[in-house]
Amino acid sequence: MIAPKKQNLHGNPSQILPSELIDRCVGSKVWVVLRGDKEIEGTLRGFDVFVNMVLEDVTEYEITPEGRKVNHLDQILLNGNNIAVLVPGGKPEDS
Amino acid sequence: MAGRGKESALDLAKFVDKSIRVKLAGGREVVGVLKGYDQLLNLVLDEAVEYLRDPEDPMRVTDQTRPMGLIVCRGTSVMLVVPTTGTEEIANPFQQEEMEA
Repeated sequence: MIAPKKQNLHGNPSQILPSELIDRCVGSKVWVVLRGDKEIEGTLRGFDVFVNMVLEDVTEYEITPEGRKVNHLDQILLNGNNIAVLVPGGKPEDS
Repeated sequence: MAGRGKESALDLAKFVDKSIRVKLAGGREVVGVLKGYDQLLNLVLDEAVEYLRDPEDPMRVTDQTRPMGLIVCRGTSVMLVVPTTGTEEIANPFQQEEMEA
């Protein structure tokens, strides 16, 4: 678990911990938005304390001025360095 | 003078269940209801919406949005956190007169 609640005795017990939400997402689709104009959607197999992620059955989206380019990749290790946002459940259907 | 050891500079507890705007490294901006956070500034936002950037100037953000739902913002990318209420746009106080060198 990332950032376990060590000193948070007075914390809000009814909040959702970010690392718990990512943990619950293992085995299902996740949409990862990177800092630049790239997005990755795939099935989350696992992650580490740095939120490097192993993803399967991956679609890579490059958002360029002309439009999107899409690649498909089987299994990847995604470097957590450039991750900005994680969305459990994958991209919304209408995007 | 240095900041206190383990404490965060910002107590996010006061923003829980409130709508906040988060600016991320790389120029992205996201608005959502804060549902959780940790010491590393990772955030859980609900009903999150990304404000899209101007294609001509990727450092500016337009009024166009796209929905994202329940998301985690990586603390390593979080640059700024501000509540969505309680701010207003003002005239540019740094605007120089044309005549000044």
